[in-house]
Amino acid sequence: MDNVQADALPKRPQSYLTGLKEGGRAGWLLAQGLMFLGAVWGQLLSLAIVCLIFGIGSGGRFLSPDNIHAIVGLAGVPALLCLGVHQIVVMGGMDLSLEGVVAICGVVCGLLLKNNVNSMDVGFWILPIVVALGGAVGLLSGIIHTKLKMPSFIATLGVQWVFFGFAILISGGRSIPIQDARFQRLVTGSHILGIPNLALVGVFFWLVFEIFQSRTKTGIAMYAIGGDETLARQAGINVNRVKVIVFAICGVMYGIAALFLVTRLNSAAARVGNLLLFPAMTAAAVGGVSLTGGLGRARNAVLGTVIISALNNGMVMMRVNPYLQEAVNGIVLITAVALTIDRKKLGFIK
Amino acid sequence: MTANSTSVVMMRRMSKRFKNVVALDRVDFEVRPQEIVGLVGENGAGKSTLMKILIGLYQPDDGEYLLNGRPIKFRTPQEAMRQGVGMVFQEGCMVQNLSVQDNVFLGHEDGFRRWRVLDRGAMRRECKAILDRVNLRLDPDTLVRELPPAERQMVEIARLLWLLKRYGAPNPVMILDEPTTVLQEKEVATLFAALREIKKEASIVLISHRLEEVIENSNRIVIFKDGKYVDQMPAAGADIHRIEELMVGRGMRGNHYSEDKQRIPAPNERLRLENVSKKGFFEPMSFSLREGEIISLVGLIGSGKEELTKCLLGVARFDGGRVFVEGKERTIRSPSDAIRHGIGHVPIDRRQEGLALDFNVADNINMLVLRRLKAHGLISPRRERENALHWVEDGRIKTPSVKTKCGNLSGGNQQKVVISKWLSSGVNILVLDHPTRGIDVGAKEEIFKRIRALADHGMSLIIMCDTLEEDIGLGNRMIIMKDGKVTREVECPGDAKPTPQDVIEAIV
Repeated sequence: MDNVQADALPKRPQSYLTGLKEGGRAGWLLAQGLMFLGAVWGQLLSLAIVCLIFGIGSGGRFLSPDNIHAIVGLAGVPALLCLGVHQIVVMGGMDLSLEGVVAICGVVCGLLLKNNVNSMDVGFWILPIVVALGGAVGLLSGIIHTKLKMPSFIATLGVQWVFFGFAILISGGRSIPIQDARFQRLVTGSHILGIPNLALVGVFFWLVFEIFQSRTKTGIAMYAIGGDETLARQAGINVNRVKVIVFAICGVMYGIAALFLVTRLNSAAARVGNLLLFPAMTAAAVGGVSLTGGLGRARNAVLGTVIISALNNGMVMMRVNPYLQEAVNGIVLITAVALTIDRKKLGFIK
Repeated sequence: MTANSTSVVMMRRMSKRFKNVVALDRVDFEVRPQEIVGLVGENGAGKSTLMKILIGLYQPDDGEYLLNGRPIKFRTPQEAMRQGVGMVFQEGCMVQNLSVQDNVFLGHEDGFRRWRVLDRGAMRRECKAILDRVNLRLDPDTLVRELPPAERQMVEIARLLWLLKRYGAPNPVMILDEPTTVLQEKEVATLFAALREIKKEASIVLISHRLEEVIENSNRIVIFKDGKYVDQMPAAGADIHRIEELMVGRGMRGNHYSEDKQRIPAPNERLRLENVSKKGFFEPMSFSLREGEIISLVGLIGSGKEELTKCLLGVARFDGGRVFVEGKERTIRSPSDAIRHGIGHVPIDRRQEGLALDFNVADNINMLVLRRLKAHGLISPRRERENALHWVEDGRIKTPSVKTKCGNLSGGNQQKVVISKWLSSGVNILVLDHPTRGIDVGAKEEIFKRIRALADHGMSLIIMCDTLEEDIGLGNRMIIMKDGKVTREVECPGDAKPTPQDVIEAIV
């Protein structure tokens, strides 16, 4: 009974940008920029607070170029994962298969790149292979979810264990040392302006997803499904097709992330994927992706990852007890969800 | 009706049955170019069924459907859309978290593709142009959930018009199902002004319970009753009473609101508000409500009347002033406080707030009094049933059994269940928020009678109605608010009701 005046008009948003938008190209760009900042100011503020606290606490060491370089480099892989998983969340679903997909793709990378277990060396061909493999697993999750009409978190939970099992099976449960030095240099290097290559990869995919989300039919349909699936269907959107495509895209991201992960670690094993889902979900939530679906863009995923990476880097630097670090991450997740969740849509908590 | 070569839609002998129920019985229906057809009838008269056949959501069992003179058969609403037949549903079909332009083009973005991606600039411009057509000045990037209902509806109409035109239909047909229920008077005027513009290039089928509106704004009125076509007439000069008669099949007299049954309330005060106020919503005001009295709270949106009732019901809080219930000072901090002090609430949106639609009739009626239905510490099924049966009978709720899901009842009967729920809980002050919204003429009269009976039994009521006539007709007294202030109090004795003209200037 908390909404007695159902016919009351909500306040009109102050369209403080409208004036600017009419002012030609420059004005339009400025407006877009302002709008971008406006959408993520809360996240930028959190990032600033994290930097301030650790910056002061570490006597400036946290904000040194070297450390920033390290944070940005570390954020690369989680950013790729989060760019994938946040889209499932946007559709109002949940993807628990992340660790399994990373495991299988990681092990396959280990076995196909130059290694000391077999005589394979596919070199750069590994990229299309992990893309195809990750995409195929994502496709499978999507098909199970839509065709068998199963909640996505159940479908993907199953897929996660199936592929984690396969990964152990084909790797024999061992770590596979990778000996492809070229790849290794590429992944850990900083070839352009001293920016870590991994960070550049993250930025590249960020832009790709921004375009996907606002300038493709499937991207817009994804948000419509997250907002109201029935209405999306009524609008003539092939909901199942969109879902399967988005799951496949996410699988591709997991595959690419797995490739970078194992080459950076210089070794592949089924367990490389372990404990990656939690930071990716936390990053999405911290970045402002609503767990009830429909809200949150690629920028939110990326910013969220940067915040989480900075937080964890800072805690290590300040020598915070590792167990306490985990607890802090948990608190951050709960707080972020509490702040972003759309309770009106949830109706009541299940 | 004769076959007319100029008609856009021509339907003959349309029939549709659902299991044992005949929803449509050999109905004829025609839409001519550039006209607004008002389609009226009680709930269950078959209007919606026919419209759903028109847009391909249902398939008819029998009958002929000609579009622009050619026989046609739509399998899906998308197909109908491409041929220029579309509908704006009562409940709306906009995705809340998308922007206006994303909603407008949702599912039909293909035309904007440039370099394989969508050209946002072009979409924005097109969207602005579309909104201009219905005189809506809006930033296309605004999220739909931030729009007031009236603008949302205009966006939907604009969207439909664009879609219908998009696939090149020469004379699109737009169906509007109860477009004015969510609108305020001023917005209704804007809507119809826009529709008159649209009429120049399209035909409109207007379904509405508000007959005055239909008469004033359509060209032709078609009346359905019990799944059958009854009559049609030109709207100009149509007599509302005649239409009502045709709709319900029985004469509706002047004594619409059972004014003759209106009682003079008992002298004792049940509720007294002293200088209550809420900053930004209403200034200090006082009034009292007597036993068996009906007060109509009248005012436009923003007059402060909603906030006043919210505070009274414990959803919001008064800033200052004192509340007395039965002579004792009370503070109301939450809805459960309000219920404890005997104040109940029949909300405007019974489907969302008033009823648990998935629960059966008995569960809903018993919801507030489960404690009283206990035997040996557990809730007794026998007592539950008895209590529910008593109130079903008392409220003349038409339901196959007390175990029927409320979602399967008609709107009028759902409303009666909500009222019964409060009666069974023993409250003696009831706030009725638009009790007859979305309920058809016949059922409305029953609700009016029910309200009278409640007052007769000593219940004190505060009502806010859909129309001023209803407010005047039902109330013992009207309290008129404007811009947060009480502008007038008007006595409305049963034998000397003021006319709407008498009081309108205090409202606007």
